[in-house]
Amino acid sequence: MAENSSSNMVVETFKLTKIYQNRQIALNDVTLRLEPGCVLGLLGSNGAGKTTLLRLIIGLHRPTAGWAKVFGKFMTPNAAELRRRIGYIPTNPQFPRGMTPITYLDYMARLFGLPKDVRKPRLASLIRAVDLLRVSGDSIAGFSNGMTARLAVAASLINEPDLLIWDEPTHGLDPEARRSMLELIKTLSREKTLIVSSHNLSDIDEVCNHAAVLSHGQLIYCGSLQDLKGRMRRNHFELDLEGEQKAITKSTTAIRALPEFKVVTLKHRRLELYLQEEVGGAAALANVLMTLNDNKVTLVSIRSVGQQTEQAFLDLVEKEESRGFARIYQAEAA
Amino acid sequence: MDAIAEKKPVAFNRWLPYWAVFQADVRQTLRSWVYLFWVLLSVLATVGYLLYRFGSYHEGGIVQTASVHVSQLLRWIVLGSAAIVCVLTAGSITSERGTMADSVLSRGISRYQYFLGKWHARLATVLGTFLTLGIATLISALFLLHEDLSLDGSLVALAVVAALLTTVITFGVTVSAVANSTVLGIAVLWSMLCAAGFLMSFLPPRYPSPDRTLERLPYILQGNYDLAGLAQFAGWSLLASGVAALFGLGYFSRRDV
Repeated sequence: MAENSSSNMVVETFKLTKIYQNRQIALNDVTLRLEPGCVLGLLGSNGAGKTTLLRLIIGLHRPTAGWAKVFGKFMTPNAAELRRRIGYIPTNPQFPRGMTPITYLDYMARLFGLPKDVRKPRLASLIRAVDLLRVSGDSIAGFSNGMTARLAVAASLINEPDLLIWDEPTHGLDPEARRSMLELIKTLSREKTLIVSSHNLSDIDEVCNHAAVLSHGQLIYCGSLQDLKGRMRRNHFELDLEGEQKAITKSTTAIRALPEFKVVTLKHRRLELYLQEEVGGAAALANVLMTLNDNKVTLVSIRSVGQQTEQAFLDLVEKEESRGFARIYQAEAA
Repeated sequence: MDAIAEKKPVAFNRWLPYWAVFQADVRQTLRSWVYLFWVLLSVLATVGYLLYRFGSYHEGGIVQTASVHVSQLLRWIVLGSAAIVCVLTAGSITSERGTMADSVLSRGISRYQYFLGKWHARLATVLGTFLTLGIATLISALFLLHEDLSLDGSLVALAVVAALLTTVITFGVTVSAVANSTVLGIAVLWSMLCAAGFLMSFLPPRYPSPDRTLERLPYILQGNYDLAGLAQFAGWSLLASGVAALFGLGYFSRRDV
């Protein structure tokens, strides 16, 4: 992900492995480097190892093998000085009972060792910023998911961290709250390094510039989001057509005869094309356009089908699964 | 006004995280139903017992010596409420594992500070409550029963029982740092205490054991005690506490939460 020297890295892991009680391999040989300013989207299905990786980076878990460095220093359960520069939101944030937003944020700030003259103004600003001013004296126990998420955001920013680690921050939020959260991530990404884990690929697509994909505890991709999208097999296209129905049907018949296409279907005036494997998309589409032109059919629009990041993610996982025992040689190949 | 304010480096208070955990835990313990139940039960049992003996003393004319009845009450507090103290201490860390630990241990606090904060908070709460109840019992007994207590004996008796409770509390917090669930922690702690008490009852008389020391409480309260022997007992209790706490500290600082 980065060519910089290791001391400049915000997060660096090397052959990070976590095996729970010799029963479950949660993370396997994960090596990644995150440079300052990166917004890393952590992708993977349930049980892929996303939360385990984040917990190892923050020092809540100890690695079975390998290591994790944050700001150039080894992360351990006692590395309090490193965690002072990190803001963390767990998947389902829970709060101590009987606390209000003010007492909770004050408690969090004291856990960071912030003196009174720093923490009091800061928590007041954050409560205002996350729009909890009206309920700042109410018990957290009665808060909705959205309010809980906003409080968790405030808690993760109370120490003005350089690195933010947010585990599924949009989980359980309504569309409006989700939109606010994504806007906040975009704003924060201008000056901080972020690791955002999410099931929602469109969220990652919107706010991240780098991606890491985990599958069954193994890191199968780590790089820029653009590169991930570039790996996608673009083999499904939709063409909206205009012209006489007879001409469109004739063109469709001609296109079906082309060897480059696996499936060609016509629904009303929309032509769906599935390319054969290992076929160049540009050449095949050029033949289609020529056929349409020959039959005097007008092309209204053409698009590649499928959410790009999602498709790329699914492709990666599928490719990884299909490699079978050849997966053993992944590290050497990389 | 227009000058751009420079971001000053924050001077972190190194021990503030420890203090925060300590205060939060004391507040949380004082509000817990287990603690309230323990205090209520102890107060009701003490008041009821003292009034019953007071009635026998004044109405029946039977002499009720304060030393015997106070020592019985102190023994009850240690033995009778040991189960509740186990619940109070063995769940101190296990009950906060998982998602709750995420919101505390992911901040700028070390495991050492967290463990020490929890341990000291439970010690302060349980010992503070015990000493308050003990002193109230002693003062009540002075007024209600036949007075045969000595001031120094009363203080020594309270100190000896407090040393014993310190060991129970420390083992409780240590088990809590090691166990994976509160129920398991309570079961392990209770078994350990019963086994230790049983095995120590076989010690030769020259060695101090909890049951023999508690049996001698009436004499201690009267001022008849062997200070060196009691100091040795308290010393061994505190040493056992220290060793248990070090083990808990070391283990918790290296485990997953």
